Amino acid sequence: MKALTAALLVLLAACGKGRVIFNIDVLSFLSASDSLKGYNVIGGIPQTDSTVSRQFILPPGFGKSSVDSVSATAAASLENATGSGSVQFDVFFSKAQGSLFTGTPYLTASSGAVVGADTVPLLPPTTVSLADSVFNTDSLWVGIRARLSTNVGPNMTGHLRLNQIQLRIVLQDKVF
Amino acid sequence: MRTGVVAVALAVLALAPTRAAHAQFSFDARRYGMGGVSLSRDGNVRRYNPAYRAVKNKNHVAGTPKFSIPVPFGLIQFFKDHPINQLGHDPMFDPKSTAFNPVALMDVIFNPPIFYEVKKAPLPTNDVSFTIGRNQLIIDLGATKVLIPEQEFGLGTTSRLLDVGAGFGGFHVGVMGFLQYDVGFTLDTTLRSFLVNDSTARPNTAYFVNVDGTAQAGFAPTVSYAGRLTHGAGGQDTDDGFYVGGALHYYFGATYGRAIGPAGFTTGAPPVLGSTPSPLLNGDVFTSNKPFGRGVGGDVGVVWISGPFEVGAGVNDIGAELTWSHSKIQHFVYDNAGDSIATIVVSADTSLKTKLPITYIANAALHMGTGTTVGGDVVNSGRGTVIHVGVEQRTGPLAIRGGVSRDQRKKMQFGFGGGLRLGPIGLDVGFFTHSNSLSTQRAITMATAISIY
Repeated sequence: MKALTAALLVLLAACGKGRVIFNIDVLSFLSASDSLKGYNVIGGIPQTDSTVSRQFILPPGFGKSSVDSVSATAAASLENATGSGSVQFDVFFSKAQGSLFTGTPYLTASSGAVVGADTVPLLPPTTVSLADSVFNTDSLWVGIRARLSTNVGPNMTGHLRLNQIQLRIVLQDKVF
Repeated sequence: MRTGVVAVALAVLALAPTRAAHAQFSFDARRYGMGGVSLSRDGNVRRYNPAYRAVKNKNHVAGTPKFSIPVPFGLIQFFKDHPINQLGHDPMFDPKSTAFNPVALMDVIFNPPIFYEVKKAPLPTNDVSFTIGRNQLIIDLGATKVLIPEQEFGLGTTSRLLDVGAGFGGFHVGVMGFLQYDVGFTLDTTLRSFLVNDSTARPNTAYFVNVDGTAQAGFAPTVSYAGRLTHGAGGQDTDDGFYVGGALHYYFGATYGRAIGPAGFTTGAPPVLGSTPSPLLNGDVFTSNKPFGRGVGGDVGVVWISGPFEVGAGVNDIGAELTWSHSKIQHFVYDNAGDSIATIVVSADTSLKTKLPITYIANAALHMGTGTTVGGDVVNSGRGTVIHVGVEQRTGPLAIRGGVSRDQRKKMQFGFGGGLRLGPIGLDVGFFTHSNSLSTQRAITMATAISIY
């Protein structure tokens, strides 16, 4: 991908001054097991996390170009089977894996209280960050966290299904 | 290495729409003002039509200068923007600079900044978007798509670098140098579809440009004849008459090289972005081991002048085929395993033939006697036909000019200008449109020259 995108970016030299927009389908890079994450948590647990992290190689030149804006969009659904509680869905981006889940999530949505068999959409509002230095890099980590809190009672079981994770990165200057 | 090879292959693509314009380049502001046509008997007509050797080189258009000196206002501006003592660090010439733009550099090469650019051709400006997914790579070039060529593009010309000798009684013996080059690129339909139709890149698919480039140079001892067969109604004191000319060349090629084959990249197994595309380079290179490729060719031309009317036609390098007795054929292929270019010698010493393209000119001029002269020419210097039509009106010390042309890209161009003569010195200004830049829009350049009468 690096060679291909590098080559294609050379082509952009012919395009004069304009914006370069990358629409990245982050979800497509995740495996099937990442996209449909099962959970089985005993009742009465105040907080437990289930996480997925993946690294992406961005086109070379991101590291030395200024990012104009980044829009992040996500959609998921909580398919609860048994038990009750709540799930908070968070999406993180970071340059390093070690600091991936330490900051404020870019996207967050809560299921609210869920009881028994139920399907709840998780639709965090699209966020736009300007001049975000996190994206001034040739490689990027994405992290998805499901933070569960269960009520006393039977185990809370079900799946968290990821439906969409999309990034729109706008570069104002030339990439190389 | 991989990135470099692929990037270079597509850099060629990025520069695709530019064409050779230097074949039409001139320092004559009067000519620019008439859309590129030359009403004098020098320049192109003498270059391409051997019959003009027998026609007097004087111009019977009143007020035509002996010669012109270009005033390079464009160079002044260029060196103001790019100080000569800082060229080594100038982003325009430094590929390592983040501000380096190969398109801007190519614009300078194809459109030398001799004259002042009144209106620069704007590069297409628009957003370019990439849609990237595990099984998806789509490029939307927006308005820039129009720059992706549909057919072969490239550059090339045939030049005669020198032509020296002596003659007597219409015969002329001499030596001319020749240089011919032609480089053509053709986008494979898969690559073009990917760039133009917003289609996603496919796995296990080759995306490439077909390249075919030839260059050869040498010299040719020449015997030529040019003479006036008949005198016209004006008698011997005028230029009236029918002229013929011909030249026989024995070509000695000094060096020759040709490269053909595809260059690009091949995507890997699905998913399309799951693996690094492999550079694709699989071509043959033909080179001369020793000089003195040999061949015979000729030029012919005719001119008819009757009073105010003049018409001529000339064809060059007819049957010019050179045989290179000692040539090497090598096959180049990109070795993905070694991440290098492997060379295979197909033939270390063999005989090959090359041809010089036929070039021609047809010209006509009418001097209307009221200070008005109209003229036109059709020129093919080896890659595409160029047509010029222009008119000049002289009134006392003033001259006004206008003209149109069809360039090698088959685009209409326009010129207008004027001149003022003050005794032995004159000033000529010509404005002309051109599409030499990488743009869909025309630029306007102002040519200026001092004429000496």
